[in-house]
Amino acid sequence: MAAKKLYESFSKELIEEVHRWGSMKQTGVSLKYMMEFGSKPTPRNLLISSQFLYKELPMRIARRVIDLQTLPYGLSLKPAVLKVRDWYLDSFRDLRSFPDIKDENDELEFTKMINLVKVRHNNVVPMMALGVQQLKKDLHPKIDYKDLDEIHQFLDRFYMSRIGIRMLIGQHVALHDPNPPPDCVGYIHTKMSPLEVARNATEDARSICLREYGSAPKVNIYGDPNFTFPYVPTHLHLMVFELVKNSLRAVEERFVDSDKVAPPVRIIVADGLEDVTIKISDEGGGIPRSGLPKIFTYLYSTARNPLDEHSDLDTIDLATVSTLAGYGYGLPISRLYARYFGGDLQIISMEGYGTDAYLHLSRLGDSQEPLP
Amino acid sequence: MAKKKLSDSVVKELAEEVKEWGSMKQTGVSLKQMMNFGGSSKNLLISAQFVHKELPIRIARRVIELENLPYGLSTQNAVLQVRDWYLDSFRDLRSYPEIKDKNDELKFTQMVKMIKVRHNNVVPMMALGVKQLKKERPQFDYKDLKEVHQFLDRFYLSRIGIRMLIGQHVALHDPNPLPNCVGYIHTKMSPLEVARDASEDARSMCLREYGSAPAVNIYGDPNLTFPYVPSHLHMMVFELVKNSARAVQERFMDSYDDAPPIRIIVAGGLEDVTIKISDEGGGIPRSGLPKIFTYLYSTAENPLDEDFTSTGAATACTMAGYGYGIPISRLYARYFGGDLQILSMEGYGTDAFLHLLRLGDSQEPLP
Repeated sequence: MAAKKLYESFSKELIEEVHRWGSMKQTGVSLKYMMEFGSKPTPRNLLISSQFLYKELPMRIARRVIDLQTLPYGLSLKPAVLKVRDWYLDSFRDLRSFPDIKDENDELEFTKMINLVKVRHNNVVPMMALGVQQLKKDLHPKIDYKDLDEIHQFLDRFYMSRIGIRMLIGQHVALHDPNPPPDCVGYIHTKMSPLEVARNATEDARSICLREYGSAPKVNIYGDPNFTFPYVPTHLHLMVFELVKNSLRAVEERFVDSDKVAPPVRIIVADGLEDVTIKISDEGGGIPRSGLPKIFTYLYSTARNPLDEHSDLDTIDLATVSTLAGYGYGLPISRLYARYFGGDLQIISMEGYGTDAYLHLSRLGDSQEPLP
Repeated sequence: MAKKKLSDSVVKELAEEVKEWGSMKQTGVSLKQMMNFGGSSKNLLISAQFVHKELPIRIARRVIELENLPYGLSTQNAVLQVRDWYLDSFRDLRSYPEIKDKNDELKFTQMVKMIKVRHNNVVPMMALGVKQLKKERPQFDYKDLKEVHQFLDRFYLSRIGIRMLIGQHVALHDPNPLPNCVGYIHTKMSPLEVARDASEDARSMCLREYGSAPAVNIYGDPNLTFPYVPSHLHMMVFELVKNSARAVQERFMDSYDDAPPIRIIVAGGLEDVTIKISDEGGGIPRSGLPKIFTYLYSTAENPLDEDFTSTGAATACTMAGYGYGIPISRLYARYFGGDLQILSMEGYGTDAFLHLLRLGDSQEPLP
């Protein structure tokens, strides 16, 4: 059972260690650096990488523990949030109790350990969402999402940090793959075709739409098929999938009772000197200007959470929480992914007509990770 | 001749009056209110009395601001000239007696009309002042001058309001107003029609400058109408289409491909009427986008040269030419509760989104 306060079940030394590591300076890495470093996954480089993570991960994790303990409006005391805090604490402890990494064997053991850390944290997002839901229940009904700006900002920082931690761990683990696909350095595809990723993500989104509505609007994709640049395909896939999913849903809902043919969703992939920009345009009726800020909030979600109040928080059915779709976190988290490597996601709408989403990705990859 | 500081001049009382009126509370009006306030003689009297009280408050605020600008902007000659215009107008208003009857009202209307004319060249004159500042302090970058940007935004937004109030009041005296018009406001304005006209004007300018102009395709409901000020919308669409046309021309000038058309979509929602202007003119890099909304970055020529004592009104009547078009268009959009957003895809093109409130019940912003 999750203890309410740190001192109730954790030693004084641990608490002090958390505070110490939580105030150390974090070190950010750029996509370019990860790519160059990982292009030669020699045992020596893997050793260096693991020693970097050995120092860096506890810093990032400790910061989050402290954040989780000091949330406003009593969010820190919600059972689901305490659970997340305990996951972070356990991971901090695992890292700090691991001995110095001196040779290849140590390095392999370390890699296994951090992989397990990553698995432990798989359900952080739905768990935090549950915590937020628990908070909303307790709060005065008059308090609106607008008032909870501090919580929004915390969640943005928290999830952004999580993206970074999982990228570092995942990248390190992936570098151990003896048979990496061509042109790939861990999670990074050095010659990723945004057009191709957009096509795949679109097909996945259309399948979901088909299952849900029995039909799906067409998606026309325009862009240079030969254009490639280094990026993490899974990140891009996630973002495009989310945006196309929303567009398809809007168009379906708008034209479901209409005789007219649903207008296609249009995707344009453009490459410039600084950025690769992907625009996803739909004619799904648009969002009123007053409603636009809400779509980037975490608290506004009206969708159901796969974890309900009565689940045993220790044993969660992974299948139910494997997708983010369902509790409306897709857009704010997509934006975090975009910003993680120096890009951005902007959404503009024309009420009564449709919505355009602009996904900017930094072409050069030399933007340092944001370190909230 | 421009005086350097108010306290140097004889009229200390004036300075105190300016201070007093500059701290009074301003009263905003919404488009809806302006529209519902027609031109009966009773209303003209009420309107004149309101304007008689409200204008000095707004004008005094600007005088005080103009005297307190950072980085030495206040002492630039062109800025002192603008301050003097505002001071003269303040004095004219304050020395005008109480408005009691129709005659008073007509004379008052003549007077505020003259004030509006006096201020016709404020924008290029302030632009000159900024230029003078840049010359004096070449080390400053537009990024450093955030305070000046914010001041100019407030200043120009206030000017839009003052000119709207005056212009609307004067226009209400028109004995033969156009059908469905209340002063400057067209109660059944068709955004599609205004967009068409503005596009044609922009294309003509492009044609003159480049010898050709890209096509502009406009989509939208021709029957959609809502109350707005057509001259404002015309100005904004003209500016945006002008920029798009220029970008497309420059991009396809040496190309064998046909210049792709500019697309305008006019959409009507419950809250807003939105006009999107899309071009394939090659776009703007993300890092360069903030600059397009600044005043200080302008590289274009200023129609007024250093010798501003001989200002021909004709040379300064358009804003085209010193790159103020986009920031000022945004102010016009925001004046009635709307907005202007510009997004770009580097290597492809740019989209401008003009949001206009459909209901017109947003109160004037009062900086």
